[in-house]
Order: sequence, then C-alpha cells, then structure tokens
Amino acid sequence: MIGFVLWRMVGAVPTLFAVLMLVFVIVRVIPGDPAAAILGDQATPAAVAALDAKLGLDKPMWQQFIDFMGQSLSGDFGHSMVTGRPIVTDVLAVLPHTIDLTLAALVVGVVLGVPAGVYAALRRNRFGDYVTRLLSLVGLSFPVFVSGIFMLLLFALHWRIFPVIGAARLDDPVDRLTKVVLPAITLGITMAAYITRVTRSAMLHVMSEDYIRTARAKGVPWRRVVWRHGLRNAAMPVVTVVGLYIGILIGNSVLTEIVFNRPGLGKIIVGALNQRDYTMLQGLMVIYCFLIVVVNLLTDLAYGFIDPRVKGG
Amino acid sequence: MIFRAALLASAMAIATSASAETKTALTVGIAAQDVGRLDPYFAVSTIDRVLMPWIYNALVRFPPGSIDPAKIEPDLAESWAASPDGKSWTFHLRHGVQWQGGYGEFTADDVVFSLKRAADPATSAFSSELRSFQSVEAVDPYTVKITLSQNVPSVLGILTNYSQGFIVSRKAVEKLGDEFERHPVGTGPFAFSSTMPNQSLELVANDAYFRGAPQIKKISYRFIPSDASRDLAFENGELDLNYGRADQKWVDRTAGLPHTAVDIFEPAEEAQLHLNITQKPFDDIRVRQAFAYAINRPELVRWRGAAVSREAQSVVPRGYLGFTADNGLVANNVAKAKELLAEAGYPNGITVKMIQSQLPEMLTAAQVIQAEMKRAGINLELQVVEHATFHQQIRQDLSPIVYYSAARFPIADVTLTQFFHSRSIVKTPTAVTNFSHCNVADQEIDAARIEPDHAKQLALWAEAQKKIVAAVCAVPMFETLLVFGRHDTLQYGYDLTGSLSLGPLITEKTHFQ
Repeated sequence: MIGFVLWRMVGAVPTLFAVLMLVFVIVRVIPGDPAAAILGDQATPAAVAALDAKLGLDKPMWQQFIDFMGQSLSGDFGHSMVTGRPIVTDVLAVLPHTIDLTLAALVVGVVLGVPAGVYAALRRNRFGDYVTRLLSLVGLSFPVFVSGIFMLLLFALHWRIFPVIGAARLDDPVDRLTKVVLPAITLGITMAAYITRVTRSAMLHVMSEDYIRTARAKGVPWRRVVWRHGLRNAAMPVVTVVGLYIGILIGNSVLTEIVFNRPGLGKIIVGALNQRDYTMLQGLMVIYCFLIVVVNLLTDLAYGFIDPRVKGG
Repeated sequence: MIFRAALLASAMAIATSASAETKTALTVGIAAQDVGRLDPYFAVSTIDRVLMPWIYNALVRFPPGSIDPAKIEPDLAESWAASPDGKSWTFHLRHGVQWQGGYGEFTADDVVFSLKRAADPATSAFSSELRSFQSVEAVDPYTVKITLSQNVPSVLGILTNYSQGFIVSRKAVEKLGDEFERHPVGTGPFAFSSTMPNQSLELVANDAYFRGAPQIKKISYRFIPSDASRDLAFENGELDLNYGRADQKWVDRTAGLPHTAVDIFEPAEEAQLHLNITQKPFDDIRVRQAFAYAINRPELVRWRGAAVSREAQSVVPRGYLGFTADNGLVANNVAKAKELLAEAGYPNGITVKMIQSQLPEMLTAAQVIQAEMKRAGINLELQVVEHATFHQQIRQDLSPIVYYSAARFPIADVTLTQFFHSRSIVKTPTAVTNFSHCNVADQEIDAARIEPDHAKQLALWAEAQKKIVAAVCAVPMFETLLVFGRHDTLQYGYDLTGSLSLGPLITEKTHFQ
C-alpha cells in the first residue's frame, strides 16, 4: 500500500513538470502585460521598463524559467506581482475556505445524488424515475449565478437566516459552518445532478447482471440485493465521477465564490489571470495540480476499498 | 396590564440605550477582487486610490468633497510662498504631526524623501508628473524648498492629496523595505491594520490624528467584485457604503430603498473616440468629420442616464481648469455625415474595425455607438477582446479607432498632453495615450504649460481645444460621474461634490447619526 502511494507520487512528477512548463509558457503567450496592469493607463514606457526589471521580466525567457523552476522546487513561489504579497501566504489564507466549500458541496452532492440515482434506477421508466431525471436536468442547467442569487434573495434578504457576505472567520467553527451552507447547496446541487445520472445508469447496468438474478432466486432479501450486490458493484463509476468532480469543484467554484463573496482558490486564479499576475498564476497552478494529484490518488485508493480485486493491481 | 406596561417601558429603555450607542464601525463594499500594492505611488486602480487619502496626507489638499484646484488648502504644510518668477516654492510645515505606528514626528526630511521617491520611475507610477521638479531640499525640519526647472500650470495641484502628492514616512519605508507596500504608514485619520486576501482590508482610527481623533473607529473595506452580491449585501445592511454603478436604473432602484442616499460626484470620466489620423481611412479628414457628425450625444446620455452622465463638450472634460465649450464641436447630422463619406470616396458607406474590451460597461457603450454609426452608413466592426489584451493592443496601434474613457487631474494640461500631444503618441519612447497621433496643438499645449499669465494660459488651452476639435483627432461623446450608495445614517461631515480619489473621503468628522 505504502509502495503504491509512493509509486504514484513519483509518477506525478512528470505531470507536474509538464504542467509547470505549460503554465509558464501560456501565461507569457497571452497578450497583456503585468507591468501595465500594475502601473495603470498613465504609465510611461520608462516606468514600465523599470518595473519589468524589478519583476525580473526583462531577463531572457529561459532564465526566467530556470529561476521559476528552482523556486518551485524549493517550495517558494515568490511574491504576487500585483499585490506584492507572498503567494504561499495568500494561498494558505484562502485554502481552508476552498476546502470547506469543496467538502461541504461533496457531501451535499453525494447525499442527494446517490440515493436519488438508486431510486430512479429501481423505478426505471416509471413516474419516480421521470421526476428524478427531470430534477437532475434542472440541477444541471441552472447556472450558479442564477441559483446563487435566488438563494441569497430568499435566505438572506427575505428570511434573513444567512448573511450575504459569506467570508467566514476561520477561527470560528460555527461561523464557518453557517457561511458554507448556501454556497455548498448551490454548488452541491449541480454535483448531485451528475451523480444521480451516473448512479442511475450504473445501477441499471448492474441490476441486469446474472448474479443479481441469482441472488434474488436464492431468496436474498431485496434490500440486501440492492445495497450489497447492486450498489457496491455500481459504486466504481460513481467514485470515479466523484473523484473527477472534486477537481472541478476546487477550480470551478469561482462563480459560487464570487456570488457568495467567499475567498477561494478559483477566485484568486481568475483575479490573477485578469491582471496577468504571472508569478501568482504559476504558483497557483502548481498547488492546484498537486491537489488534483492527491485527489486522484485518494480516488484510486478508494477503488481498492470498494473492490478487493483492484488492491493487487 | 401593569406588567405589560412595565415590559413595554423596559423594552423602550433597551431600545433607547441601544440607539444612544452610535455605531463607530464602518463597512465599505468595493467592486474589486483585492487591493494591489498599498504604496501611494503605485495606487492606480480605483480600489487602491479610494483608500489612500484615508491613510495618507499631502502638503496641501482639496477640501474634502471638492476637486476645485482654486480651493486647495493647507494639509501637512501650514503655509507657503512662491518666488516672483514662480520657480521657487517654500513650504512651512505643521509642527507635531506624528506618523502612525510610532514612527516619530513628521518632518521636512520625509517630504524630501517622498517627493524624490515619487519622482523615480523605479519607485513610482507617477514620476512623469514631477519632471519639472529640479530639487527638493529641507531648509530646516519644518521648511521645505522646491525649485522648478520650468513653470508648471499648478505646483499646488501636483502636491495635493492625489497620486504623487502623498507623503510617506522615510523611517517606515527604510525599515520595512518591500513590506511597506503591504503595510502602509501615513499621517492620515486611519491606520492600516490587516489584509485578508480576497476578502477585506481593515483600518483602525488614528486617534493621534492632527485634526482630531476620528469619530469612526474601524473601517472594514470589503472586496466584492459581483455587483449583484454587493447590492444585496448593501440592501441587507451588511455594508454602510457601497461602490455604485453609473447607471440610471441602479441609481433609481438604490435611491428608492429605505434609509438610503445615492451620492453622484465628480470627476467625470469622458468617453471619446480617438481616430488615428495617420491610418486609412482616417487620414482623410472628411471621414473623421463624418464620424463626428454620426455621433448623437443627447441619445448617448439618454441611454446612460441623465442622473449619472452628461454630454461631453470638448476634448477636455467639463469643469477642468482651462476647459472651453466654445470650440466648434459639431452636432449630430446623419445627412452631412453621409455626404462627407461620399465626398471622401465612400458613397456606399464604409467598414472600420475597432478593437474593443469585453468589460460590460465598455462593450455596451461601443454597441450603442455602433448603432449610431450604422445610421450614417458606417459599419463599425467590433473585435471584442479581453480587457488586458485591449489595453495592450490599442497601445500597439492595432486599432485605427479607439474608444477610451478617462478622468485625469482637473487641469486641461494633463488631458491635452496625455491624449493629444505628439510626445504621447503610442509606440514611441515617451508614449502615454495619444492613440490618434494628434500633433496639431503641440505648440499651444507646451506654451500654456509654462505661461505665467493666467488669462493667456486659458487662451492657449482654448486654442488647443479648437485646433484638436477642428482636426477631429477625437470625437467627444459623454461624461460619466462617480456613484456611491450610502445608508443615510452615515454622514461624511462635508458636502460631497467631488473626490479625486474616486471615492468618498472618510475624515475625522465622518460619523453615524
């Protein structure tokens, strides 16, 4: 097991390297200039040149790349070009918010999605199935900036249960929990919709297998057939989707973060992109990539728990 | 019954005691992701500019709520005198002003250090503003002497509480190094406390402020980029002061909320279409004139909203020192536009490409302009790009027609120099924002800058505007004012008609009722 984990970590190194290189090149290929973003529209070329020199942007590309690689390997991502703050501090300050939201949305997605999917599969082509499928379609089609604003109008302005500004104090667990509810539901509903669809199709496939018919013929109770023989075998694709979705949640929660005024990784990425904050983007991508690698690893480990046959591999 | 009365009485007592305790914490919502470098000489974005005068002072200042250069008053300097030729200025400083955070007393040494720092392109985005400052010397701890290499339109203007005029603490800058841009130290009414990335910046009252301890004790400056969420938070009472939208519907809706006031103030941003006079088809003045006739200013103002915008009348925004409306600007005339195009060899109309930012307020404006042009047979082909790309590409001369909206220091010289002097032509070593390659009024602009006689100076600026309008280097369109929403219990302590920091000043007198 430990060997497996180590082997996977080593395997991630080339991926990380490739991503670093891509990010380094892409942020520099897109038009736009960090010095101009920092100095504003009245800046003279002399001021831009002076700032480029200060930021190290006047060095040749290869040298910038070597500097960047050296820094990344030592875990020092430098300072944001725009705010001047150390990147690691900024990321660590928002990471708990991102993790809170990701986990909470995950819980909402799985708790709503899996039972709904099982239910729809067992009621295949009957009224319950149609309603579940319709609801999941609605969940998928509602953009966050619409559903989020609706939530705020209802729960913050009308009933006054939650605040509009969702930035929580990290040292206050109650505050953290209160402020994650609305965004987690908003984000979790879309995820639940996906999970419902995947669970339903996986269950349909499994439930038509021979061993299910055998189990039923043997007289195994129906409940046990569904949960033990059915869902456990249907869980593999569901876990895969959940794993992939965590990656999406970490980076794509930006709209939710903006609507609910939460700090977060997604929001920082978009901000850094708008301002061409090269160093910030590079640092964020490395951290983001690392998180994805960890999530994928956890997903693979989860396979082993669900299906003993995977363990040996 | 008696019990009920007693209950009511105690409830009322609680209510009155609660209201007697006035609020002293101010929460402000601003449309941005995060602050930038908190160094006054790098504060270029709205979010950073708004903050600076809360923390810093300058030698002189605009009275809070005003942007009239004629009313500039003492700030850190108590008095000043200029030599007869206007090239040597002596400032007498206020005694006993303390830096925030225990950095000691403010002295002439700080002024010398600050102005030198602001004049160095390596440490300031505004160095060009100080190019006529030959030397800045400390005569004694409370006297500073500034010598100019040539006359400038307004020495006091350069030294106000705006951009390069703010005074920083020498000790703090030297001690903190790079950390200074994350931890500003000023002499102003509020001191920096902390920043939470992506979230907010916190300030506390500087009780030792030389004009008296501020009545507001804490400011939470919250970064909320989504307009919809910021408005909801304001409506919900989570924000006391809200960065508004220059949009009639927003103003009407917000003003209709209970206990809410909307402040609309100067400086206005003027939107102009800059036409590159060296590129086809705009090298033909008849085409440029056709564009000028095609623009319908009253319609643009109706679209933008009469409460927040007004027609532009010159290539310099209204109200700036040196502005003149008497410059020969033509009114909308579609027939005349078509006639001119036909004369220039485009009887069937013309197609011109324009690189345009995708920022919603800029893009919608461009679409309205596009519709107006269409009526005159001009097909404006919009190439929509991301905002930072837009800024880069227009500076590379890639768009023969540029939509640009800007507010500058309210003296004609700044706008005329940056947009219409040949020295500022884009893609040159001294480039600023002259997108039209205009060069017809260089002489007047240069002469006006060093003209000691005020009446003659005004005449030169007027002449420059006439020439630029006649050459149609740019088509002035409309001016948009600044808008903030405020709960009416918040009183600024002055009348807000203008603010060069683009947001209300929070002074020692600002309070909740």
